[in-house]
Amino acid sequence: MNNNKKNSLVVLFKNRELLFGFVLLVIFFSVLSNSFFTTSNITNILLTTSIGGVLALGLTLVMMTGDFDLSFASAVGLINIFILIFLDKGFSLWFVFLFAIIAGIVWAGINGILVVKLGMHAFVATIATWTVCKGIIYWISGGATYYGDYPKSLSIIGRGTIGIIPISSIIFMIITIMIILLANYSKFGRRMYAVGNNSEAAEYVGIDSKKTRMIAFLLEGSLIGFAAIILASKLCSGPASGGDGFQMNVIASAFLGATVFRPGLVNIGGSILGIFLLSVIENGLIMLNVHFYFKYIIQGLIIIAAVAFISLRSKKKNEGPPII
Amino acid sequence: MKNEKPILTCTKFDKHFGATHAVNDVSFSLNRGDIFGLVGENGAGKSTLIKMIGGECIPDSGKMIYKNSEVKWKKSSDALKNKISIVHQEPLLISSLNGADNIFLNKEHTKGVIIDEEEVLKKAKLLLKRYPIYPDLVLDKNVDELLLDEKFIVEILKALSYEPDILILDEPTASLPKKSSERLLSLLEELSKKEKKTFIYISHKLEEAIKVCNRIMVLRNGENVGILEKEDIEENKLIKMMINQDYEHFYPKKSENIGNTILRVENLNTEALKNINIEVKAGEIVGLYGLMGAGMNEIALSIFGIHNDLKGGTISLHGNKMHKVEVSNMIKKGVFLIPPDKHKYGLFDTFTVAGNITLAHIYDIFPELLISKVIENKKAEKQAHKFNIKYGNIGQLIEELSGGNQQKIILARWLFKECEILILVDPTVGIDIGAKREIYNLLRDLTKKNKGILMVSSEINEIVGISDKIYTMRRGRITAELEKEKITQENILKNIL
Repeated sequence: MNNNKKNSLVVLFKNRELLFGFVLLVIFFSVLSNSFFTTSNITNILLTTSIGGVLALGLTLVMMTGDFDLSFASAVGLINIFILIFLDKGFSLWFVFLFAIIAGIVWAGINGILVVKLGMHAFVATIATWTVCKGIIYWISGGATYYGDYPKSLSIIGRGTIGIIPISSIIFMIITIMIILLANYSKFGRRMYAVGNNSEAAEYVGIDSKKTRMIAFLLEGSLIGFAAIILASKLCSGPASGGDGFQMNVIASAFLGATVFRPGLVNIGGSILGIFLLSVIENGLIMLNVHFYFKYIIQGLIIIAAVAFISLRSKKKNEGPPII
Repeated sequence: MKNEKPILTCTKFDKHFGATHAVNDVSFSLNRGDIFGLVGENGAGKSTLIKMIGGECIPDSGKMIYKNSEVKWKKSSDALKNKISIVHQEPLLISSLNGADNIFLNKEHTKGVIIDEEEVLKKAKLLLKRYPIYPDLVLDKNVDELLLDEKFIVEILKALSYEPDILILDEPTASLPKKSSERLLSLLEELSKKEKKTFIYISHKLEEAIKVCNRIMVLRNGENVGILEKEDIEENKLIKMMINQDYEHFYPKKSENIGNTILRVENLNTEALKNINIEVKAGEIVGLYGLMGAGMNEIALSIFGIHNDLKGGTISLHGNKMHKVEVSNMIKKGVFLIPPDKHKYGLFDTFTVAGNITLAHIYDIFPELLISKVIENKKAEKQAHKFNIKYGNIGQLIEELSGGNQQKIILARWLFKECEILILVDPTVGIDIGAKREIYNLLRDLTKKNKGILMVSSEINEIVGISDKIYTMRRGRITAELEKEKITQENILKNIL
């Protein structure tokens, strides 16, 4: 019994470098900048993390089953534009929101067919769909931002707050809880991890690997739809580059998240921590008036550090960052 | 040979790892030209002993006299320089280099500062010619493109390139196909006779060790239980020394009450199989045996529903025809499969011990919506205890367990629910003798409960010892059905060639 207690205390602190890093950074920026730890800035940070966070949840689900998606950011941008177009045309808010989620699912379904049914390498397939999506965006928009009529209630999600917490953050938190329950505490989540770890052995215990991977994509698709809804209500416009800002951060978060708990294994909690870490860094650097090019350098260095950390920590040669 | 002094004498070798007394006062001597077998259960001390001889581990106490002078290795390169080299179970190769480069790593022919690639390849090919274990090996391909057995051959050639006087091989045929194993064994015999090279040979495959070794030492719990010389070597004696129990009781008693047919396979046809007819009755262990590739594995996988390319035939359970032969369906009906190659098809290495145990029947074990880790650990611990699985912590990763315990986890995983038919493919490969016996007893317990067992094995002693009925196979067909006194090695060999 005693041994178990000691073990759980060690587990609590082991592999928590990311968490400590996060806390340190918050302290660091708060000390260096007066405007960092203010209510308006915290609200701002929470707003940014809610969109990236929902996308990170989706990407993590797909990575859990051993696949990958590079197209989510452009898909978010495209669906965002469509949301504004349909609202402008007079469709009701709820109808358009429903459409957004279905559109996300359809998009992920296309990726799923290419990767799961046709057996294309996830990396390659989703680079291709990413490119196609970008092309569609530019075809529709010509590079310009879409401004249209929209009901006032649209901006509530994106800009409304309860106290200092934005409504979009609350939505994000609810979604996060549901996904954590699915991934870590449900039987289906267990099957997802099994497929991601060894899809052949999964078949031998009666798991339909293809079906599981497909469902992971579809779930990711619904989250892409949610992210688009939050983005639309934040921007209230449809820029051609709508999703671009999230591409690197979300992918980096998933890899950063794989450094905690069990190095090399993607997990939901780690991805969320990752997105918060990166958002704090981005925000902090702005608060310190650091030139925005430095932001890229620093973010790139952080990703290198995280992935190197995983490689050094892993005992086996074959273990490492999740298979792309 | 009797008059010559031994090439190596180890006196009172002793080694502790913390509280574990891994090697306890072991003494023995090696004569030039010996093929010296080293057998024992897992944890008996074999690996530790050879590591001490090869310089990878320093003994706590003990003396080593090599070629008439006392030696003490500080590291493995000391031993290598003195022509003692070890071939490990897992190939340690540089994956970005090709076979030839790996063989001559650190011994390359150079033209000035630059490595002479052509010369290295030439020397490697000469080496392969001299030791033709696997003549088709491609030496200029990157080793990460090689199969496991090919990688292993490169590892052996690497060790041979040092021209060792003593070569230690740890489970050398575990990852080799039958032909290469045979070539390796005859190579050892040749080298020992012609060049007086000395070998230490660790193996779980007693048949092999008996065939090729002229002396065998048995370790048990770190102690030298005895050394048998050629004329005295017998499998029964070895087993008795290894586990301190008589051979007659090694395989549990066969079934006396065999009931009705549980599984009936009629006219099964696939790409590789032709007109297979098989019956497994309640209380019966049915063995499938044949040369590699004859189709035994295909039958097992086809019945379970993997690779559904059934071209014809029916599978019936308790008289009822199965309409959809799919894995999930077969599991529902109580047909479970213990797969071959547990690392590839059985284990999930990012899952804990608990996670691996609960996976197969997870929907039955946790009927509620969410999984409680606390309950999962409790249930898994109970199941692990039932199967005598040894682990440190139910939350540890599965790779840290021994092969025998890993296999028992796969059994424990399936037997969370009652089976009707348990199909096993090579379940005791690479597993120590104690764990093997536990698995045999487990199978007999199942037959006492009137379940049926279908087992594929590549060890003829095992299939003879465990089966109530044996089907022999050759080239995708069943060639004979042997029962009771007809089950002999002779009859089997007659029907598989």
